[in-house]
Amino acid sequence: MPRRFGMVLLLLIGVLPLLSCGGKSAPDSLRFGLASAPVTLDPRFATDATSARINRLLYRQLVEFDAAQQPIAGLAEWMRLAPLHYRFHLLNGEGRGFHDGGRLTARDVKATYDSLLDTKTASPHRGSLEMIASIAVIDEDTVDFHLSRPDVLFPGRLVIGILPAAAIAAGHTFNQAALGSGPYAFVAWPEPGRLQLRRVGDGQRLEFLQVRDPTVRILKLQRGELDMVQNDLPPEMIRYAEARPELRVQRGRGSNFAYLGFNMDDPLVGQHAVREAIAHALDRQAIIHYVLGDAARPASALLPPEHWAGNPALPLLAYDPARARTLLAEAGYGEGKRPRIEYKTSSDAFRLRLATIIQQQLGEVGIDVELSSYDWGTFYGDIKAGRFQMFSLAWVGVKTPDIFHYALHSSQVPPIGANRGRFRSRAADELIEAAAGEEDPARQAAYYRQLQAVLLAELPYVPLWYEDQVFVARRTIAGYTPAVDGNYDGLAVVRRTAE
Amino acid sequence: MPVFIISRLLSAAVVLLGVSCLVFLLLHLVPGDPVEVMLGESAHAADREALRQALGLNQPLWVQLLHFLEGLLRLDLGTSLHSKRPITEMLWERIPATAELAAAALGVAVLIAFPLGVLAAVRKDSAWDYGAMGVSLLGVSMPNFWLGPLLILVFSVWLGWLPVSGRDELSSLVLPALTLGTALAAVLSRMVRASLLEVLHEDFVRTARAKGLPERVVVWHHALRNALLPVVTILGLQLGVLLGGAVVTEMVFSWPGLGELTIESIQRRDYPVVQACVLLISVTYVLVNTATDLLYAWLDPRVRLGTDK
Repeated sequence: MPRRFGMVLLLLIGVLPLLSCGGKSAPDSLRFGLASAPVTLDPRFATDATSARINRLLYRQLVEFDAAQQPIAGLAEWMRLAPLHYRFHLLNGEGRGFHDGGRLTARDVKATYDSLLDTKTASPHRGSLEMIASIAVIDEDTVDFHLSRPDVLFPGRLVIGILPAAAIAAGHTFNQAALGSGPYAFVAWPEPGRLQLRRVGDGQRLEFLQVRDPTVRILKLQRGELDMVQNDLPPEMIRYAEARPELRVQRGRGSNFAYLGFNMDDPLVGQHAVREAIAHALDRQAIIHYVLGDAARPASALLPPEHWAGNPALPLLAYDPARARTLLAEAGYGEGKRPRIEYKTSSDAFRLRLATIIQQQLGEVGIDVELSSYDWGTFYGDIKAGRFQMFSLAWVGVKTPDIFHYALHSSQVPPIGANRGRFRSRAADELIEAAAGEEDPARQAAYYRQLQAVLLAELPYVPLWYEDQVFVARRTIAGYTPAVDGNYDGLAVVRRTAE
Repeated sequence: MPVFIISRLLSAAVVLLGVSCLVFLLLHLVPGDPVEVMLGESAHAADREALRQALGLNQPLWVQLLHFLEGLLRLDLGTSLHSKRPITEMLWERIPATAELAAAALGVAVLIAFPLGVLAAVRKDSAWDYGAMGVSLLGVSMPNFWLGPLLILVFSVWLGWLPVSGRDELSSLVLPALTLGTALAAVLSRMVRASLLEVLHEDFVRTARAKGLPERVVVWHHALRNALLPVVTILGLQLGVLLGGAVVTEMVFSWPGLGELTIESIQRRDYPVVQACVLLISVTYVLVNTATDLLYAWLDPRVRLGTDK
């Protein structure tokens, strides 16, 4: 019997491991570690941050953004011919050649946006572009967008990578084999966590490797199995990397906005005094220093001060536990009657750590906090459905200020929009509407600044901080600059230098 | 034997049908809307309704169940909500990695467990026994999320012998297999020891010794052979667990297996992929258990004779 048993075991142990192993990296490849692999290489469907960032390398878009997040010419410059009519003229230069040799023309622009707007495509981006009534090709380099309603922020919405019309018509599977005109061309996707690209300019190979565990990501970097990683690192790993002679840590200002949200329909946190008490009970500087490793800056509003519609004049919420206690007392709470709040967060270990600290800080001013952590889907579902008192989340990659309409206008309570806190303010609504209808950019920015002052006073959310972009690389990697929104555009110029 | 095999296969088929229905129904009870996952929060109600119709989600549940079962018969598990790829293709991509890791971990477990278990049983209550069982206790007490990074630190970063993670070459299999195999080895070695101790007191062992057979032959040929049956059962069950995807180990070592896909899909609320993963894991369990039953009968003819009577 042991012999028979041994035969079976040998079959299992000996043959199966020889079945296959993933492909090896090209020796000269630059290797970039990712916490999560891209889901799709089709920009019409990409909603996760990794896919969106990689797609920026593979495709070109009509419009880009400057440092103040003002839309600027990408593939094309534009003119507003009438309130409902925009003309885009494709510029000659980089990005006009697809990786298969074809030339990017106005027909490709029309085909891309037509396919995205087709309900059969079921693109998650259709909702943000539904004001497009029709698209007309004027000539090889010119395309007109006709709108169904005026939208002064319209150019900033044209950020979908342009696909070749012929490939769309042929049903090319862009999700698995990208075909664009970006600085990198698709080479292969041999396994889910390994994506291989080639830089068009100089043939430099680049490999994205998924390494979920942040500790393992840094250890791989240390051993030279990766060349660079960006973000998704706990502060202790950043400090560890800073202490390694073979690694270099680069920090850049970020715009991802973390906040504490409230359910304004709730009888407890719906009270302004309670929200203000919470705002003053939080020692954000201490959290940023000790927990975030100084890799963040405190926030007063959703848009950072350097944004064209941001408000640099807003004061920072002061850490003032005495004021918090006074506010609670004025609202009728005290040691005999401590307010009790359920705080929902995701089950991410780092978010949970932050929540525990916030729980402790609120406890010190007399607010009892009950933490409830859920898997992301359940947590997010609860937030959208209004099943919460308080939660923490972050707005990631915000570019255009119409986020205020989507997230805070009283008409945008889910499922219509993202006003998850059920915030209803006539003053805020009026400013949002005035800004949306304003043609002059300076006056529009002024409305948005005024709106952010109103929001800071009414506190439908407590602004926490903008998290920095942290890039860690081996010392031999040069030329990369972390972008404010965390994109990977720096890979277009990054290079490996001699040891 | 044929009757035994047919009866086992029939019962496996019934269980598989039940599991398929249960998985389908459970996923439809979980809160969440696939249409919202696909179209995002900003989609219009009309677009949502159109997609719901296109996907057949407005049909009665039993009709959807029938379509699902019909798809299963054609090995068509649908398309991922996020990547838009056929799910069958996504699963096939992951199965070799999971099978490879499971087999290697099983190999590690057996290679450690058998000598350790036999040694502990033969030298019962000696320092060897306490040492072997101490090692076993240590193995079962170390969680994979701790052991994995520790092995990486020692063998990859400090000694530089093995790759940190990934699935590049055969050497990248060593650390995940060791991590996964250690806990299993600990369980198995205790099982081998207990089972062997029981058998060593049987009359046929005493007879073998009385015949003057060397102790090595008595233990490895006569006793161990009879002690293997409960061990095979445990091995079968554990292989089911391993083939279902060793989530933590796969995460630590960036091993692109089924466990990683399952977790990713749950996090992204990619319902059809979650459904397919759960179904595949269930099917694996049923098939491995059926195979274990058949192996059991092959190893010990008394099992099938009992059935044939």
